Amino acid sequence: MHVLLIEDDERLASFIAKGLGEAGHVVEHRADGKAGLIEASSESYDVIVLDRMLPGIDGLRILQTIRAMEDQTPVLVLSALGETDERVKGLRAGADDYLPKPFSMQELLARVEVLSRRGPARAEPTRIEVGDLVVDLLARSVSRAGAAIALTDREFRIVEFLARHAGRVVTRSMLLEHVWDYHFDPQTNIIDQHVSRLRQKLDQGFDQPAIQTVRGAGYMIARP
Amino acid sequence: MKLFRSLSFRLAVIYGVLFTASVGVLAGVYYWSAIRGPLERVEAGLREEGDSLAALQARSGTEALAAALERRAAAPAPRLAYHALLAPGGQTVVANLPSWPSVRTGKWLRIEADVSREGNEDEYEAMVLDQVLPDGTRLLIGRDIEDLEELEEGIANTAAWLLPALVLLSIVGGMLMSRAIGKRIEAVSSAARQVIEGDLSQRVPVTGSNDDFDTLALTLNAMLDRLEASIEAIQRVSDSVAHELRTPLSRLRAELLDLEADRPEERLSRAIGETARLGAIFDSVLRISRIEARRHAEQAAPVDIGALLRDAVDLHEPATEGKALTVDTAIGSGLIVSGDRHLLFQAVSNLLDNAVKYVSAGRRISVSATTVGGDVLLTVADDGAGVPAGLRDKLAERFFRAPGGEGTPGFGLGLAFVAAVAGHHRSELRFLDNAPGLRVEWRLPRA
Repeated sequence: MHVLLIEDDERLASFIAKGLGEAGHVVEHRADGKAGLIEASSESYDVIVLDRMLPGIDGLRILQTIRAMEDQTPVLVLSALGETDERVKGLRAGADDYLPKPFSMQELLARVEVLSRRGPARAEPTRIEVGDLVVDLLARSVSRAGAAIALTDREFRIVEFLARHAGRVVTRSMLLEHVWDYHFDPQTNIIDQHVSRLRQKLDQGFDQPAIQTVRGAGYMIARP
Repeated sequence: MKLFRSLSFRLAVIYGVLFTASVGVLAGVYYWSAIRGPLERVEAGLREEGDSLAALQARSGTEALAAALERRAAAPAPRLAYHALLAPGGQTVVANLPSWPSVRTGKWLRIEADVSREGNEDEYEAMVLDQVLPDGTRLLIGRDIEDLEELEEGIANTAAWLLPALVLLSIVGGMLMSRAIGKRIEAVSSAARQVIEGDLSQRVPVTGSNDDFDTLALTLNAMLDRLEASIEAIQRVSDSVAHELRTPLSRLRAELLDLEADRPEERLSRAIGETARLGAIFDSVLRISRIEARRHAEQAAPVDIGALLRDAVDLHEPATEGKALTVDTAIGSGLIVSGDRHLLFQAVSNLLDNAVKYVSAGRRISVSATTVGGDVLLTVADDGAGVPAGLRDKLAERFFRAPGGEGTPGFGLGLAFVAAVAGHHRSELRFLDNAPGLRVEWRLPRA
């Protein structure tokens, strides 16, 4: 995957570039907003990782310019200003995701990969099938190998989110963000406890776990 | 009352009192030298004249006294001379005073002695010494003091309008002076308040007048420069330490994960877990210091504390269920505060997490939110072992862990985070005895 990184902090930039590079992505780095903007408009990227605070120019201005050029490349905004209104501002300016510093490399990697999958907007599906798992988004029901599984609303949303990103790692804070609508890194095993209860329901009578744990990163529903 | 304690008010009063007192002393000195002094000299002269006239009468008789009085009245003198000599029976022997009290009322009298001359009436006022001689003869002698009388009247008239004007002037002057000082002081405190709220770049305004307040402002600003520089340095160092350490930590973790893929061993898994814990400590410390360094968000949004608490209880439901805890909730409605819902949620989540961690299986946790005064009172309480009174204040400190908590997971940062969020929202967080257990009360200003 081709990633454009616009970040003025050398150390952080090399840390991100290395992490993304190790995961098999090609990273192009620009240290200031102007060069980044030129690069973004001249090349086609799968994802842009943009720092919110750049020397001389606000990252959100760059984002608005990119969007004004009808460029719908997914953008992940990184910021030390990690709280609600900053986040809302970022998303309003056209960001696809917003990650407050400090973040872990796994978190950034997972989010970049989810973003690249999202791609340009497409029609909203009504059901998602991954292997023997079927998630009916209209009826809000889940079945495995044809057998319906009774889930609570919360549990359904966990499955739904994982299924929407099947084959990609979903971090604990991504789950907290999309299922509970609160943004923070839980740092406790509270999300694992929810997933573990969900697993008991999904895996009863099956040899293969429906949800896999990805060490050090999060969870994934694997594509067959 | 605040007004009476304020420095500006006291300064205004002191100014007014000093101003009025100094004008009063000035007027007193003038009165003494211009009126009281001359009057006393007139009195002394009359006393002397009285004594010598009394001696004359004793030596040469009443006839001689009368003649002396006539001579005295005719003699040229700066002050006109008056007299009245009455025989023991009350009959007038000689007199040029127009009137006198028929019975002696005291030693000193003031008698009006207007003189008509060619149709014009000249006003005179006489100071009169009234004495009774040894043989019963009554002798009144006086001198004209009209000039002093007029002067005294003039002063009294002037004082009548000058005094209110003076008081008014001193009040206005005092107010102006104290307002000028109060404004300078307010400038210093408002700058200090902004610094307290986290804006270390704030400085005390300097007027350029080089006065004491300017010196104070310059000193305070130098102190703030120094503080800002050291805090920035600390911030930079801690940030770079965290970043610096995270990179090798991530690399180490990646190596370990690779190793584990080939040889899944328990010790390897533990080492990987250790790197995750280290990373989490860095994240938490960085996060707490960021929240503390930032000012209260200008665009804080309304947050429904009731809904937030219910979400938090819901999030912890697997944990509470796992320990078979009873969770009592008493959550009111319409409890809206202004703030950052994500920070507030994480803080409440930390409180619940703590309660679940430190309470024994099968016990009870209570979560409540009510309105108290103009505030929202949020309470998370457990009936566990609690924390000794002397240590409760330390709970909000970074890396502090209550005794007995060594076996439970955590780094002693959860409540430090809650305290940072509470400070960020200008709210009051208290750790109390739930007898038994710990009760955390969090009072947030209602939006």
